[in-house]
Amino acid sequence: MADEKVIRIEPVTRLEGHGDVTIKLGKDGKVKDVQFNVTSTRFFEKFLEGRFAEEVPRIAERICGICPVPHHLASVKAVEAAWNVTPPPAAIKVRRLLINAKQLSSHGLHFFALAAPDFLAGPFAKPSKRNVVAIIKALPDVGKLALQVMQYGQDLVAAIGGKAIHPVTAVPGGLLNPFSEEKRDRFLKMMSGLKEWMAQTLDLARRVIEDYWDPVTKLAVVPTYYVGTHDKGALEIYDGKIRVMDPEGKIVADFKPKDYRKYFGEYVPDHSYATHIYYKPVGYPDGTWRANTLARCNVADKMKTPLAQEALEEMRERLGRPIHATFAYHWARVIEMIQAMEEIDLLLKDPDIVSTDVKLSDVEPKRGDGVGCVEAPRGTLIHHYWTDERGIVTRVNLIVGTNNNISGIEKSLFEAARQIFEQKAHESLKLPEPMIK
Amino acid sequence: MTIRVAFAQLTSCWGCDQSLMDLHMRLLEVLPQLEILYWPAVVDYKLADLEALPRNSIHVGFVEGSCRTEEDVHLLNVMREKSKLLVAWGSCSCYGGVQGLANIWPLAELVERKFQRAETITDARVPDVNVPPFTEHIVPNPDRVKFDMILPGCPPTSDNIYDIVVALLTGAPFELPETTVCDQCPRKREEKHITRFKRTFEGKPDPEKCLLDQGYLCLGFATIGLCGAQCPSANSPCKGCFGPPPSVKDHGAKIISALGAIADIDPEELKKMFPDPVGSFYFTDYAASYLAKIGAKKREER
Repeated sequence: MADEKVIRIEPVTRLEGHGDVTIKLGKDGKVKDVQFNVTSTRFFEKFLEGRFAEEVPRIAERICGICPVPHHLASVKAVEAAWNVTPPPAAIKVRRLLINAKQLSSHGLHFFALAAPDFLAGPFAKPSKRNVVAIIKALPDVGKLALQVMQYGQDLVAAIGGKAIHPVTAVPGGLLNPFSEEKRDRFLKMMSGLKEWMAQTLDLARRVIEDYWDPVTKLAVVPTYYVGTHDKGALEIYDGKIRVMDPEGKIVADFKPKDYRKYFGEYVPDHSYATHIYYKPVGYPDGTWRANTLARCNVADKMKTPLAQEALEEMRERLGRPIHATFAYHWARVIEMIQAMEEIDLLLKDPDIVSTDVKLSDVEPKRGDGVGCVEAPRGTLIHHYWTDERGIVTRVNLIVGTNNNISGIEKSLFEAARQIFEQKAHESLKLPEPMIK
Repeated sequence: MTIRVAFAQLTSCWGCDQSLMDLHMRLLEVLPQLEILYWPAVVDYKLADLEALPRNSIHVGFVEGSCRTEEDVHLLNVMREKSKLLVAWGSCSCYGGVQGLANIWPLAELVERKFQRAETITDARVPDVNVPPFTEHIVPNPDRVKFDMILPGCPPTSDNIYDIVVALLTGAPFELPETTVCDQCPRKREEKHITRFKRTFEGKPDPEKCLLDQGYLCLGFATIGLCGAQCPSANSPCKGCFGPPPSVKDHGAKIISALGAIADIDPEELKKMFPDPVGSFYFTDYAASYLAKIGAKKREER
C-alpha cells in the first residue's frame, strides 16, 4: 500500500483572488479530504465602519477588480434603502445599462481568458500554451473575438461610470454623471458588430460543448441547492426577488433581499478565509448551494430576452433543469452574455437613457439600516449597512457573490478528485484533439 | 527583443490585472515582446516555478497588492530576489491601498468582526488550517523591500501601464510627474469662496465648473496627475486614489493644510465637517501616512 499523500496546488491560477487547493489521499489511494484554501482577506466588513455612507460605493467596490460594478451598485442601493431614497427612473435605467455592460465584459473575460485555455489548448497542455496570451498568438481570430467583446463591455462601463475599473458615478439618489447622446450613439453604432461577435461566441461555446461532451456530462456533476435573482420568473441581475432551488429542482424559497438573514448562513471553515455561504434553513453542509451563471439559469423560469431564451432552451433540451454539471457554468455564462447584449441594445434605444434627470438633490441622511442586492457575475451579492443620523456607516455585513460557491466548489473538487485519483477518469474520458497544439 | 517579466499578486482586487487586460487590441502589440515567467492571474505557472528561477533572472517584476499575510511577505521577497528591476504596480503596492484603512484597528478586532461577529455567521471560528497568518498591519511594500520604480493608481490606467511597458521595452526613462489632477482637469476654475463643504448626495454639480469651487471635496489639487482626471471629467470628485505627487511625503497632511488655506471656514468648523479624516483624506494611502506609522508604533509598545 502507498503512503498517505497530500497534494497542494499553490496557487490556483486563472482565478480572481487567492486560493490554494489541498487534496489528501489515504493509504488505500482513496480521496480523504479536499480543501479550497482562500488564503487572504482584507476586512472590508470592519474598515468601512466610520466612513461617509455616500462614499462607500467608491470604497467597497475595491473588493473586486473584475466586478466592481455590482459592488458599486449593491452598495449605493444599501445606502438608499437605509435612507429611504428612490432615485429617478432614468438613473435606474442607466444603472441597468452599467451592470449589463459589466456582465458582458466580466463573462467575456471569464470565458475567454480564465476558462477557454483549458478547452482550446486542452487540459494536458503545458502552462506556456494553456493561457489567453498563447490563444491570442495561436488562434488570432478567437483572440480578436475575445478582445472585441471584452472591450465593448469595458468601454461602456467607462463611458457611464467614469472609469472602467472602480467606477465613480453612483451616489444615493441617482448618478453624478448623466449618459450623453454622443456616447449612446457611439455604442449603438457598434451594436451590430457586438451581435455578430456574440453569435460567434455562442458557436464557439457550442463547438466546445460538443467536443467535451464526455467530461461536461460526467466530470464533477454534483447536485446542490441553487440561489439566484429573478423578476417574475425571468433571470434578473439588477433588482428582483431571490429564489432558492433544491437539488431536485423544486423552488423552496422566494423572498425579498431585505429578508436575506433568514436564508443566508455563513459557515466559517477552519481552512479558508472565505466563508462558505449556504442555505440556512437546511444547515451546513446539507444546505450547500451554488450561485453564479448556471444557478441563475436553474432558478429562473426563463430569460428576459428572446435570443438568450432560445439559447437557454437549447441548453435545457440537452441537459434538463436543474443542471448539476459544473462545466455547464460556461455554457450558462454565454447565455447570460447574450441576455446582457440584448438588454444593452434595448436600453441604448430607450430615449430615457440620455435623460439628465438622474440625480435627486434633496437626499437626507438618516439613522437606519438598508440592504442592497444585485447579481454579481459570480453570484448573489448583498451589502447591508447601518448608518447613524449623520449618514456615517456604523456597521457592515457582506454576502460576497463568490462565497456562495465555495462549498459547492469543494464538493465539485472532491468529486473530480475521486473520479481522477480513484477511477482514473482522465484516461477514460473522451477528449478532442486540442485546437491549439 | 523580448523581456522576461513576472506579475505577482499580493492581497488585492485583480483591478491592476484587469487594467492590463483592458489594453485589449494594444495587447497584440505588447504581448509578443514579453516572455511571461509568472502571472497566476492568466498563466498556470505555480509558486514553485517562480521559486526555482535563478536570482535576478526576471528582467522586470511587477508586484500588485499589499502584504496582508505572511505568504504575501514571502512572495514579495521572492519577487525581489528574482527580479533585476522591481515595479510597485498600483496604489496597494505603492502605499498599502484601500485595505490600509484597516490599520485604524488592531488585527484582533478585524478578525473578530469578520469571523466571529458578522451578522450571518452561524458558527464563529478563526480559520487556522492551511492558511497563512495575517500581518499585524498593512505596510507599503517599498517599506519592506527596495523597489526600482513605482506606478500608483487604483488601478493605474491602461494608458499608464502601456507607457511603462513601452518605456521598459525601449529603455526610455519613465518618471512620475510633479503635476496634479487639476493640471489635467478640463473644468473651469475661479476664485474660491468655500464656506461649507457639500457631500456628494447634496445638490447637482455643475458639469463645467471646478468641483472644489462648488464646495465638493475634490482632491485633485493634492493628487498626482497621472490618471487624466478621470473622475472630475465624469462629474465626480477626485478621491486621491493615485496618491500625491512624488515630492509630497504625506498625502492627507498636505490636503488638510491646503484646505485650511483654501476654505473660508473656521478650523473647528472644518473639523466638524470631516468627522472621518482618515477615510476622507487617505483613501488608498493611509498605511503610508505618518499618522498610521505612529499608531502602529504605539500599538507595538503597548
